[in-house]
Formats: sequence, structure tokens, C-alpha cells
Amino acid sequence: MIKRKTRNLIQDSVVSTVAVFIGLIIIFPLIYCFCGAFKTPHEFLTPNLLPGSFAYLGNFIEAFEKGNLLRYTVNSFIIALFGTSIRLCFSILAAYAFAYYDFRFKNLCFFLILGTMMIPADVLLATNYLTVSRLRLLNTYIGVMVVSFVSASQMFMLRQKFKSVPKEMREAAQIDGYGDISYMVNVLLPISKPIITTLFVQSFIGLWNAYLWPLIVTASSPNMRTIMVGITKLNSWEDENYQLVLAGVCVSLIPSLILFILMRRNLNKGEMDGALVG
Amino acid sequence: MKKKFLVLLAILCVLTALFAVGEEETAQVEQQVTLGSQPVTITFWHSASDDAGLLVDKYIKDFNENNEYQITVNAIYQGQYSDAATLMKTIISAENYKELPDIMQLDATGKIDYYKSGKAFTIDDAVKFFNDDIIDEYVSGALGNWQFSGAQLGLPFATSTSVTYYNKDILKAAGWDECPDTFADVIRLSKDMKAKGIKTAVFGAVPNSPTLANWLGQLGSYIVNNNNGTDATATKLECIDNGALKTFLTEWKAMYDAGALENKSLSTNQFVAGEVAILTSSSSSVNSLLSKVDGKFEVGATNFLRVNSSASYGATVSGSCLVMFDSNDALKKAATWEFIKYMTGEKVQADFAAGTGYTPGYKASVENEDYKNFLAKTPQFSVASEQLAKTPASMRSITVGPTVDFYYAIQNEVTGMLNSGASVDATVESMKENLQGLLDNYMRSNF
Repeated sequence: MIKRKTRNLIQDSVVSTVAVFIGLIIIFPLIYCFCGAFKTPHEFLTPNLLPGSFAYLGNFIEAFEKGNLLRYTVNSFIIALFGTSIRLCFSILAAYAFAYYDFRFKNLCFFLILGTMMIPADVLLATNYLTVSRLRLLNTYIGVMVVSFVSASQMFMLRQKFKSVPKEMREAAQIDGYGDISYMVNVLLPISKPIITTLFVQSFIGLWNAYLWPLIVTASSPNMRTIMVGITKLNSWEDENYQLVLAGVCVSLIPSLILFILMRRNLNKGEMDGALVG
Repeated sequence: MKKKFLVLLAILCVLTALFAVGEEETAQVEQQVTLGSQPVTITFWHSASDDAGLLVDKYIKDFNENNEYQITVNAIYQGQYSDAATLMKTIISAENYKELPDIMQLDATGKIDYYKSGKAFTIDDAVKFFNDDIIDEYVSGALGNWQFSGAQLGLPFATSTSVTYYNKDILKAAGWDECPDTFADVIRLSKDMKAKGIKTAVFGAVPNSPTLANWLGQLGSYIVNNNNGTDATATKLECIDNGALKTFLTEWKAMYDAGALENKSLSTNQFVAGEVAILTSSSSSVNSLLSKVDGKFEVGATNFLRVNSSASYGATVSGSCLVMFDSNDALKKAATWEFIKYMTGEKVQADFAAGTGYTPGYKASVENEDYKNFLAKTPQFSVASEQLAKTPASMRSITVGPTVDFYYAIQNEVTGMLNSGASVDATVESMKENLQGLLDNYMRSNF
């Protein structure tokens, strides 16, 4: 008995040590970024990880001045929040239709949508630009967001999730007088909270980090640029100001981290929460 | 069934109408209007960031407040050069020409696309249009970099070249008063540093397309045909049969084998930190480099390292130029011409050179009193101008269609040779195959 306990203890210790080590590797770039943002230009040239003082805010002040980060952060937030919300709405509705409805050419439509996942985003740059331009959406927030309103991968993942919910649950809901929308809102979505939360966080970060598309669509409206564009303004060919860039990156990480912390609880929440409601 | 078909047809018609509305363009009729008779706003796309961005903002503010023609310049930062070039390409592909600016800062990556855009208003066009021949007022070496297929595409704005910086303190400790001039000198310096117990790296670089163009240019060769792609689209390699690539690789490998060369790019920051004795870098880095070193050691600047003692001095010109687009509006064109002359003229070029380290592309700027006084105080800034005077006029930076792939292919081939210990001949063959393959692919896809 004692032998087994000792063996388990050793096993746990090894696993924990490896986990901590891997965790450190994953988190190290963040620590490096955070420390670098507080270094003076001279300190940045030294191999020390820690800055002389965490009270040095010169890089942040300069980053906000040179990169117009405040305005760009607001733009990024608007684009990421609304883009993600609308994308999720469309994905949920499409996934519901593919999971529950039977209609002609259903499978063909489904595979056509999935097929779009195979097309690299760069290839679509010119055609998307042409479409957005003809719809007269250039230099608008909608123009930046519109290409991300539909996501085949999100639709696919939600459809798989919806299909895993027993059909009897929908039939029971229908007997209770629930229509499709009320069943979706009151039963299906609470059950699917973990996956919806995951997709929300993933999509938000993706749109938050978008660079080339927002740059191209807002070519004539510099005030509509996103924070990633602002960060490129902090470095130049003539001068490598990595400490400024890291300060900009730290600022850009804040909303994503807050979102992750807020949503973390939902990621692990019980699968059948909504079933009780139904 | 018929009803469904009609519904589908109706939807199709509505969608077509919607897109047709978006496509409608107003035909602009070019009218001759005297500049200054009415206010005019022009758009300027630039890629100047950090301190250079602040300087550009200052010049634009100055121009907007003080020009006598009621011109307002709307300056927009469009990301780095490659991003701005991608934006330009996307707009041209979509034929959405009204989104193009009146004037744009462009580096070599966007040269061919600009020329082929169908909306280029080249300097040659402008000189004819305004009957205002200002070409001779610019430094010929700087102008030459912005020519393609016989046309002067733009005027030099941020002109730089490659030079060699060195840590005088380390070299003195090794018994050297002068910086090495050739690769063989670097090997000798390395031996002397080792003999004195100095463990600092001597030199570290990975050749890419611009730097290879410099070194092969010193040997009298281009990497690709059509004068390194500046006269017409490059179609084949031109450094194989004349043995220039082999000579370069042989000397490069000798440095590595002697332990004088690190097979990685050692950055300005590593030079500033005293981790490397010699650095080849852009002349435009001189300002930031001196301010970062801040007197910790003495910084020397000299000509770009030569491949061997029979090679010419010099390096190609790089940086960026200002190009104009044809807006079909005579007033805007005239305003753009005034603005481009201001930005590439004496005052701005002298101030920009002193503020960044770029070399003035305008002849009179070099003679500008303020700039001369500045050079007297910081002689490191004058190396680029002096080197440009020595650089053979035939030396050209490289312009190829597959710019990015070419850049990395050269880096991978050279680092691969040193890492794997492959022979020079095998590497020449491999580079011949890969680089020619990239050119062939580009020609197949675009012509």
C-alpha cells in the first residue's frame, strides 16, 4: 500500500514538474514581452530578463503617442466584438439548419461550405476587396468585418455539437410547445455554452489580431485602423525599437486576456446545464 | 419548378443590379486649371514609421501651412513598404483606381507593379507634362535605382546604401587601426582577435538578394539579366557562367571555415551591445546606432566590405522613392508635382538626412550649410555619400518578380551550404536550379 502511494507520489511529481516546465515554455514569451516593455532602450540591449524598474513607463507613453494606440484599440474592440458576435449568430443558425432540417441538396451545400475552408485567405484578398468595394463598404467598420461574418469552421463545429444532442430532447421540447427558436435559445445554446464560449474567444482573438485586411479596407481612413497597424508604426527600417513594440503588444494583449479570464469559467462548465432548463 | 426558377432569376437580377450600382464610375474629364486658383487636396501614402514618421508629419504640416497654392496634403501611413505595395496591388487588381493615392512612397518591392499598373504617372511623364526638367538636380546614383524599362519612375526620397560599421575599441585591442576592407582582412582580424584572447564575434551576416547584389556588383556581375531586372523583367540568372557567384561563395565559405563569420545575421542591437566587432548595415541606421551606443565605445563607419582585393568599392542604392499616380485631374497632378519637388528638394532632404541617416538624393542638399555643419560634427554620416561617389554607375539593386521567395531562397542556400558543409560547386548548381526555377515560375504565371 505504502509502495503504491510512493509510486503515485513520484508519478505525480514527475507529471507536475513536466507540466510546470511546459507551462513555463508557453508563458515565457509573455513574461519576456511584459518585462521588455518596462526596459529603457539601454537596458534592452543587456541580456537581463528583468527591467531595472517596473515603474518606467516611458515605452508605454511613447507607444501611445507614436502609434495612436488608444484610438486603434477602440477600433479593434468594435471590430472584434461585433464581428465575432455576428459570425457566431450566423454560424449557430446555419449549424441548426444543417443539424435538424432536411432539405434538398443539404449535403451538397454542406460540403460546398466546408470546401471554402480549403481556400487560403490570401487568395481571397483581391476578390474580397473587389466585393467590398462594389458594395461601397470601403472605409467602414462593416467593410472590415463583413468578410468574417461567415465562418465555415465554426458552423461545422457547432453542427457537430448540435448533432450530438439527442433528438428526443427536441421532440420533448416541441411537445412542451417550443418552436425552433425557443428550443435553440432555451435548450440548445445553454447546453452548447462551452463550445460557443471557445469559439467566441478564438474568433475574438483572430479578429483582434487581424492586420492586412483592416489595413487594406481602411486605406483612406487612417482613423479606422486597428491596433496591429498601430504597432507597426513603432518600429522602422532605420531603428529597431523592440521595447516600444513590446509595450504596444502588452497593450494589445489586455482585452484578449480579460476576455479569456472572464470566459474561462464557461469553458469548463457542465455540459448538460441547459438540459435542466429544457 | 417554373416558379422556383423565376424566383432564382429575380434574385440574380437584383444582385447583378446591386453590383452594377457599385461599379458605376464617374468619368473624369481632365481640365487645365491654374494651380492656386482654388483649394486642392491630394493624398499621400507613406511607410515612414517611428522617428522618420514624425519627421514626415512635420514636413507635411510645414507644407500644408506654408505652400502658396492652397494645397492640402492628406498623409496616410499604410504600414510597411511591403504592406503598402500589397495594398496598391490589390487596388490595381480590383481596378478600383479611385482609391489610389496621388503620391506614394515606394521601395523596390512595388516597382514593377507600379510600372505595370496602367495608372503610373512617371517622372518622365511629369517632366513632359509640366515642361519642368528637374532630373539633373538629383544624385544620379540615387535616381538610377528608381528606373525601370528606361523610365524614371520616381524621385529619391529616403536614399540609403550599405556600409560597414565597426567597434573601434575592439579593433584597437586587436591591434587594428583601420576596419577590414575585404573578406580576407576579416579572416586576418579574426586571427588577431583570437591571439589577443578577444572572444567577441568578428562578423555575422546571411546574404540575401540586396546584399548579394552588392557583392556580385563589386565583382562586375548582376544576379539576374536586364541589369539586375531594372531595364526589363528579369528572366534568367547572370552570375553563374561568369563565375561571380562561385567567387563570392568561395570567399564567404573561407571566412566561415576560418571561424571569422557567424552563420546568422547579427543585428544592430548586438553590435551596440558589443557582441560583434563588424556590422554591415544600411547607412540609414547610423543615427539610431550612434544614439544607442551613446559613447560606450567608439563607432567607426567605412565602405561596405569588399569580396576581395580586385573587387570594386561600393554597394547598391536602396531605400524608397516617391511615385505619382495619374488621377486624370490636372489640378491634382500639378499639386502633386509641387509636393514631390518639396519632399525631394533641398531643405527636406538635408533635414531628413540629418534626422535619420539617409543620404540626400538632391544634389544641393549635400551642399546645404546646415547639413555640412552636421557632417563636420558626425563624420560617420558622410561615409554613405562618399561611397556612392565611388560606386560604379553600372551597379544596380535587384528587382525580380518573385521578390520575397528570391530573398529567402538565397538566404537558405547560403546558410545551408555552411551548415551542411556542402561544396561551393554543389551550392552554385543548387542555387542555379532554385533561383532560375523561381524566375521561370513567375514568367509562366505573369506573361
